[in-house]
Amino acid sequence: MSNPRLRTLTAPLIDENPITLQILGICSALAVTTSLATALTMSLALIAVLAGSSTAISLIRHHLPASIRLVVQITIIASLVIVADQFLRAFAFEMSQRLSIFVGLIVTNCVVLGRAESFALRNPVGASLLDAIGNGLGYSLILMLVALIREPLGSGSLFGWQVLPLASEGGWFQPLGFMLLAPSAFVLIGLLIWIIRSLRPEQVEADDYPILSSDSGEAGR
Amino acid sequence: MSLSDTPLPRISRPWDAHRVTLALCLALVLPLLAAGLSRGAALLPPLLLALALTLAWQAVFARLRQRAMSWDGIESALVFALLVPAGVPLWQQGLALSFGLVMGALIFGARGRGFLSPAVVGLSFLLITFPGIGPLDLGGPVALAALPAGAGLIWLGLLSWRVVAGFGLGAALLALLLAGPAALAQGLTSPALMLGLVFLIGDPVAGASTRLGRWTYGLLGGALAALFALSAEATLGTMPLQAMVSAALLASIFAPLLDQLAIWQNLRHRNRRHKHG
Repeated sequence: MSNPRLRTLTAPLIDENPITLQILGICSALAVTTSLATALTMSLALIAVLAGSSTAISLIRHHLPASIRLVVQITIIASLVIVADQFLRAFAFEMSQRLSIFVGLIVTNCVVLGRAESFALRNPVGASLLDAIGNGLGYSLILMLVALIREPLGSGSLFGWQVLPLASEGGWFQPLGFMLLAPSAFVLIGLLIWIIRSLRPEQVEADDYPILSSDSGEAGR
Repeated sequence: MSLSDTPLPRISRPWDAHRVTLALCLALVLPLLAAGLSRGAALLPPLLLALALTLAWQAVFARLRQRAMSWDGIESALVFALLVPAGVPLWQQGLALSFGLVMGALIFGARGRGFLSPAVVGLSFLLITFPGIGPLDLGGPVALAALPAGAGLIWLGLLSWRVVAGFGLGAALLALLLAGPAALAQGLTSPALMLGLVFLIGDPVAGASTRLGRWTYGLLGGALAALFALSAEATLGTMPLQAMVSAALLASIFAPLLDQLAIWQNLRHRNRRHKHG
């Protein structure tokens, strides 16, 4: 882990995970994690877009006037998203139908613009690419974990394979309908954040309004 | 006049978590007895399961957090067991109650630190996750047993009369608007409505805590409950459990906002008085 290049790649997996530490990209994490297949496709599309946009933005970082940088960044990201979307429609039409607008919405995914603004604008191409892939993998890790819980519990399958026989088809498994609704992803991501921050207490943020103990309460008045 | 002549000021013992739990559990005795009369021994397994699960979860979290064991989950367990319709498999009840206890209260630190009632969270989980759960099979006597329970809690100050009045007003207004005056009087005999009002909407943790906030919280809960019931082609008298639980969940999610609005209103009022005075 002492190698700084390797660190750029591995830090966003857990230590600086875009979803569980920075709480970015939650919207798509709720929407596409009802099944593993959609979560995986979404993850791949995001990694591709993120790697492309970070590389491109890092390449032009010295020529980019600060006043229009957001416009240029969004233009680059949107172009890449259109490519990814068209690619899916051409080669995986059914999957693109299941993902509906969520690939297109990568444009508004805060992870992509967040990495462009905070990393690619200030770092050379190689480091930016590694950072993009690392963040893409960190995002994918959470998506796949959530989908790995939601798909079996919500519909008794893994990647579309029926692993638990459904009660409605003569089996014993009563699927949990809650797992197919977006709130379940909130709960699962919340639990993941809880687990990660229990294991890594340095990620815990300070309380905005700490509860005073009974002695310090008197002293505070 | 000597000091001994003056009557001593009456200082009431402050409410702590144990007293609140005790009072709420005592209020539940009458509805539970009425439910026991109508369901018989079938009420026992869910009740015992709920109590055992609650104590187990609270013991686990007491150990994890190295705090003293708290007993407030007993009340949530009793409300949950009372409001689950007969015929729901025990594992589904256990799963839902565990979700409600952990996600609704324990994860926030303890009861009183969260913003939802564990019974409401557990019931919502049960009704959303397992579709096709039948209506609440308790009769009018259970609904009537909620009356003295609610009255006692109002007298003790654990149930706000403003919430109850707001609820009645909200439900009545919406029922009048959508279904006409005939729908009104039956509400008193609906077990889901009466128990839900006293023990779910009236929950002292989940509800609003300012005066104006309590009125608006009750109004919102009542209007939502009536709206959900009438849109499911039921009446206030045959209030479906789903309508009542969803109304309680939504109203308690909005409770902190309603309190904040009441505080802003109060601030504006004071500022204006300050300027003129």
